[in-house]
Amino acid sequence: MSSRTTFIGAVEIGTSKITVLIGEHTGRELAIIGRGECPSRGVIKGAVVDYKAASECTHRALELAEREAGERIDTVFLAQTGSHLEGFYNEASVNVKASDNMVEAGDVRTVCELAKAKELPHGRMVVHHIRRPFRLDGRLVPGSPENLVGQRLEVGYWTVHGLEQRLADTIHVIRGFNLEVGELVLSSLAAGHMVTTPEERQNGVLVIDIGAGTTDYALYRDGAAHTTGVVAVGGSHLTNDLSIGLRLKEAQAEKLKLRHGRADVVTRERMQKVWLDGTFAIGDRQFPQQAIEQITAARTQEILEVVKARLGNAFSPETCAGGVVLTGGTAKLPGIAGVAARVFGVPAHLGEAPTWIGENLRDPGYHTALGLLYCGVGHRSERLAGRGQGSGFLSGLRKLFSNS
Amino acid sequence: MSTGAIRTPAVRSWRDIAQPVRPRAMSRGGRWRRLMVSVRTIGAVLGVAALGASAWYLLTSVSPKAGDVRPSAKAGALRRLELRTSAGGVLDEVWLRNTLALPAGVTLMELDLSRLRARLLRDGQVDSAALSREFPDRLVVRITERSPVARVRVESGPAPRDLLVAADGTIFQGAGYDSAMIEGLPWLAGVSLVVEGDGFRRIPGLTPVAQLLSDAQFAALSLYRSWVSVSLARLESDREIEVATRNGSTVVFSASREYFGQLAKLDYLVDRLANTPAARVRIDLSYGRNVPVRIDAPDVAPAAGPRGATRPPAARPVFSILPPASPQRTSP
Repeated sequence: MSSRTTFIGAVEIGTSKITVLIGEHTGRELAIIGRGECPSRGVIKGAVVDYKAASECTHRALELAEREAGERIDTVFLAQTGSHLEGFYNEASVNVKASDNMVEAGDVRTVCELAKAKELPHGRMVVHHIRRPFRLDGRLVPGSPENLVGQRLEVGYWTVHGLEQRLADTIHVIRGFNLEVGELVLSSLAAGHMVTTPEERQNGVLVIDIGAGTTDYALYRDGAAHTTGVVAVGGSHLTNDLSIGLRLKEAQAEKLKLRHGRADVVTRERMQKVWLDGTFAIGDRQFPQQAIEQITAARTQEILEVVKARLGNAFSPETCAGGVVLTGGTAKLPGIAGVAARVFGVPAHLGEAPTWIGENLRDPGYHTALGLLYCGVGHRSERLAGRGQGSGFLSGLRKLFSNS
Repeated sequence: MSTGAIRTPAVRSWRDIAQPVRPRAMSRGGRWRRLMVSVRTIGAVLGVAALGASAWYLLTSVSPKAGDVRPSAKAGALRRLELRTSAGGVLDEVWLRNTLALPAGVTLMELDLSRLRARLLRDGQVDSAALSREFPDRLVVRITERSPVARVRVESGPAPRDLLVAADGTIFQGAGYDSAMIEGLPWLAGVSLVVEGDGFRRIPGLTPVAQLLSDAQFAALSLYRSWVSVSLARLESDREIEVATRNGSTVVFSASREYFGQLAKLDYLVDRLANTPAARVRIDLSYGRNVPVRIDAPDVAPAAGPRGATRPPAARPVFSILPPASPQRTSP
């Protein structure tokens, strides 16, 4: 393992804000030494629509983080989200070659290559190949099947792919700061790695990261990501609904959502009202609390139901013993865990960062960036350990998500 | 199924996306960052170069070198030119000064010894030369000279020139020799001269002739003194050396046999023929034990008087200069 210190920048270009965390990786441990945040512009539903505006605020956040860290970033781990990201499952099987039916490295390599080798539509690129556990003659093999005896080896990959232009746009934003993107990690996987434990992932858990413009989800089963997806609906839709329903400006609606919004309706008094600003100044007015709650609750429930519909048969309460873990900025909406539990029929709770994460970074808004950093570290360790074996980042990430 | 046999479609990954740095797509911070990277790179390169230069300077300043040795004497203007020539050498310091043509006031350290040596060796009379500085103001020149064994006459320019030939075939002008010694050398005939640079190319295969002349000088000086010319015309083809004497006789030597025996026979025959009236005598020593002698009767009855009075004048062989590409033999 190299003893050289590397400064890794975890960048999440979100719809509402851009978050940058800088981690100092010494080869043995990771210390978060810098943080930079900037309100996002030029990004809608996770996609860069105004290069200049997006670049300016991303670079601003990078500058702030570097200034706080007092170091320069060496490489960037970039979170990727957006409705263009899709996934599919593909599996392959091979007969074990050896006469004694003992699985060899060549068998494993062959079946993995076959399972990953599915042609993509034009203009799309692979973001992740997430391996599901091997099966040898039908029995599940959580680790490597090498040296086990069997006749038929099977494996499946959940392949996440996205539009080349969209991926290139976000990468070029980082390149505009003269930084190279070292890794591209799906937001849901990054957040999921941070808010779930290996046991939860083994037993089955659904992670839902509700951001401002998109909702990312990742369903874990047997220790590995089973299904991922992105829904182009997020917290900004709640704001939009409030704005339309109560005839407010967007900024006012956002303020109202943050102060009085809920994922469920608890107010029984129809006449109970809340002030818009609370300053009692000219222009400050009252709105019915129940109406606010009804609007936000309806949209929140809809988001969760869309996620459930997208998951389809992949999700069932029986295979999701870990329940639902909610994260992201919109997950701070009061009562959302109860709604999620009601929608999915399994226990739900808000995701929390591990206890060793500092208090200032425990907010759900940092889960994705934190996950990016730890994914980066995991990848780096895996890559250095397996250098020369051609495993690369995907293998490292795969192991990280499936076994750690 | 082997891995090599599997042909899977090429799946493009996000890593295939080119990540070029385009200045127009960079923000001010990005440009500044790139500038700083360039500055740091240049600084690192300069730093490494400076380190290297420092290391080199330290190494060169610490390690001893010839230039650091303090001179025991200061080199001044050249005052003395000393010539040390081989035994029997005739060249003197006047010749040396003329040949070197050193500028006035030149210092010892300003002399390019290799060029001066080349200048000396251009004279065919000099076989080898070594020059050394002796501080503070003396240049010592040690040379070995070639000795002439014969001479040739070359017709070039308005007047014919007489040149000397060394035992190794080198043709040179000759300086410092006693004129009587030069006059005693036989002429070389039956040889082609090829122009080379300012002089002539060395005559190949002269060693047997030089040996003959040397043996004759040593063993039969009186005979040698009577020789006018030595011809190489048949040396290469018949291994025979033809010698013309002052009285018009011809002696043929075999280059394949030792010369002392042939000279002894010649001496005997000359004694036997001393009282024989003849215009020309041809003695052929190349047959070995038997020596054919042809005696030509004189055309005109010789008048009474000393033999030398009737002797025809010694004819000097004349050579013509031939171009290098088409050497031609000339006979005297």
